[in-house]
Amino acid sequence: MSDASALESGPTGATRRTFLDLLLGTTLLGTLASVVYPILQYLKPLPAAGPGGPARLTRAEIEALESKHFVIVPAAGTRVLVLRDQEQKLRALDARCTHEGCTVQYVVAEGVIWCACHNGRFDLEGRVLAGPPPRPLPRYTAHEDAQGNVSITPEKT
Amino acid sequence: MSEQRPKRGLQAWLNARYGIDPLLDFLRHKEVPLGSHWMGWYFLGGATLFFFVVQIATGVLLLMYYQAGEATSYESLRYIVTKVPFGWLVRAVHCWSAHLMVASLIAHMFSTMMLKAYRPPRELTWVSGYALFVVTLCFGFSGYLLPWNELSFFATAVGTDSVKSVPVVGGWLLQVLRGGADVTINTLYRFFAFHVVVLPLAAFAVIGVHLLFVQRQGMAPPLGEKAAPRGMRFFPNFFLRDLLLWLGCLLVLIVLAAYLPYGPNIPGMEWDLGKKADPLAPAYPGIKPEWYFLWVYQLLKEFPPHVFGIEGPQLCLLAVSVLLGIWAVVPWLDRNARRDAPSPAFTDLGVAALLFIGFLMLKAWDLGAPAGVADTIRAQVAARNAAVLVVIVFAAVVVGRSIAGRRWFTWSATATAHAVLHGIGGVPYLVAGTVSAGAAALWLAVARLREGRQR
Repeated sequence: MSDASALESGPTGATRRTFLDLLLGTTLLGTLASVVYPILQYLKPLPAAGPGGPARLTRAEIEALESKHFVIVPAAGTRVLVLRDQEQKLRALDARCTHEGCTVQYVVAEGVIWCACHNGRFDLEGRVLAGPPPRPLPRYTAHEDAQGNVSITPEKT
Repeated sequence: MSEQRPKRGLQAWLNARYGIDPLLDFLRHKEVPLGSHWMGWYFLGGATLFFFVVQIATGVLLLMYYQAGEATSYESLRYIVTKVPFGWLVRAVHCWSAHLMVASLIAHMFSTMMLKAYRPPRELTWVSGYALFVVTLCFGFSGYLLPWNELSFFATAVGTDSVKSVPVVGGWLLQVLRGGADVTINTLYRFFAFHVVVLPLAAFAVIGVHLLFVQRQGMAPPLGEKAAPRGMRFFPNFFLRDLLLWLGCLLVLIVLAAYLPYGPNIPGMEWDLGKKADPLAPAYPGIKPEWYFLWVYQLLKEFPPHVFGIEGPQLCLLAVSVLLGIWAVVPWLDRNARRDAPSPAFTDLGVAALLFIGFLMLKAWDLGAPAGVADTIRAQVAARNAAVLVVIVFAAVVVGRSIAGRRWFTWSATATAHAVLHGIGGVPYLVAGTVSAGAAALWLAVARLREGRQR
């Protein structure tokens, strides 16, 4: 019937079928998005609600610092290496190696910061001395008061 | 059919309901092609499957006691290996079987490569096998964290950190994988879900597809023998051999697990429980990943901090991805094998891959390096020893394949030149690689020109 074909095919040549296919496709995409979006949101972890401001070292951490010349503490939402260098100066650096994220340590005998995973070496300013790390270790401010309390300021220097 | 005597028994009962006769008929006529090559290569997939079944069985047993948690993961595993009767054995079998599964899978993959069994019409069998290879590596990586000990903590820290190099979504992916900015017990919860639910489901599905392909198409006949003249009946001849092999695998597994329950004490192949993970402890000296990740570990060490303005580790992981990507599409690259013609260039590519990976692994193992000297000297000695071994293997391959009349050594010669320049010549790893790859490209261009002139 010519009337029917005129009904089914619009002025742009689109048929009722292409219109329905478009609707169906959009609905399917919408359904898929409504399933995937909550899952993606669910999987993304909430930001860690750490205390802001300076982090104070506990008594045990200070004891470890004095006996081993370095200690790794949680601060600024990460792990921070606090060390006392040969001039008795207190330093704080990000403890995560900039290469692949292993935890670094202070090698007292050589006066360097060393990552055991891929043999990266940094000086006490955090600059790369040897090995594959591409960036220096970020530095933090360590402050020691007259009573021997040590605090780490989150601001990188 | 009404003239035939009606069948009785279970088979007839099942057939009347489910029509199983065509299936039985298929199994009765199933044959394995016999040809000029050693048929032992046909059993490696079965061996891998056997180890996978052992993993499921021992994994379920471990789950009966294992408790994921900050204060329980390590403790429950220690309880399993020290208190639970035969707990040490169950864990030892799980660990050994994991390593043997990876080893037999890699052997299966390389035999497929060398025999060109990936050629049409079996391209998708290769791809599904490749997917199983990836799933198996994910199994190994996720299972590694579950004891929540020092080694597993740092292996996971390094392994997940590399995800950040993925363009655009890297940061998001790292967060999702770790369940936070750093590796914490939240990471373990996610890995636990992957290890015991997601990956087994994925493995079952892909193994199903892989086996379906193999059943549908049969095993690949040797190259150039399209219609293998002879065949071995699958039931019972081949299947009984399979069973015998599985029995052998079980024996090896039991002996290894009983005598070396904590591994052979080789770096990358030890699973002593050690100390509990402490996120605030520095990484300890001599820390190394599992042996099948060692080559990536060593490659990460070889890349300098920056190359052409790109960060070394990023470029390194890009290179690894490209190499693995090429490996995945080999069936489409190998044009000779597509025509069922000998393809020595791709056999040589397989040899080159083994030499390349082998060199890095041997170097990571500090092969023959004396203890108590500076790290740089140890690395030099290990590189030299590894290069010497690579040269010996290369020489053996050249002699063996020349006798067989397959003279195509460009890739393996490139890998050997790379090892020699770096290990013996002392040239930096990347420079040595670039020089030998450049020389290979020049060689191939000259060969092509000469070929054109002869025509």
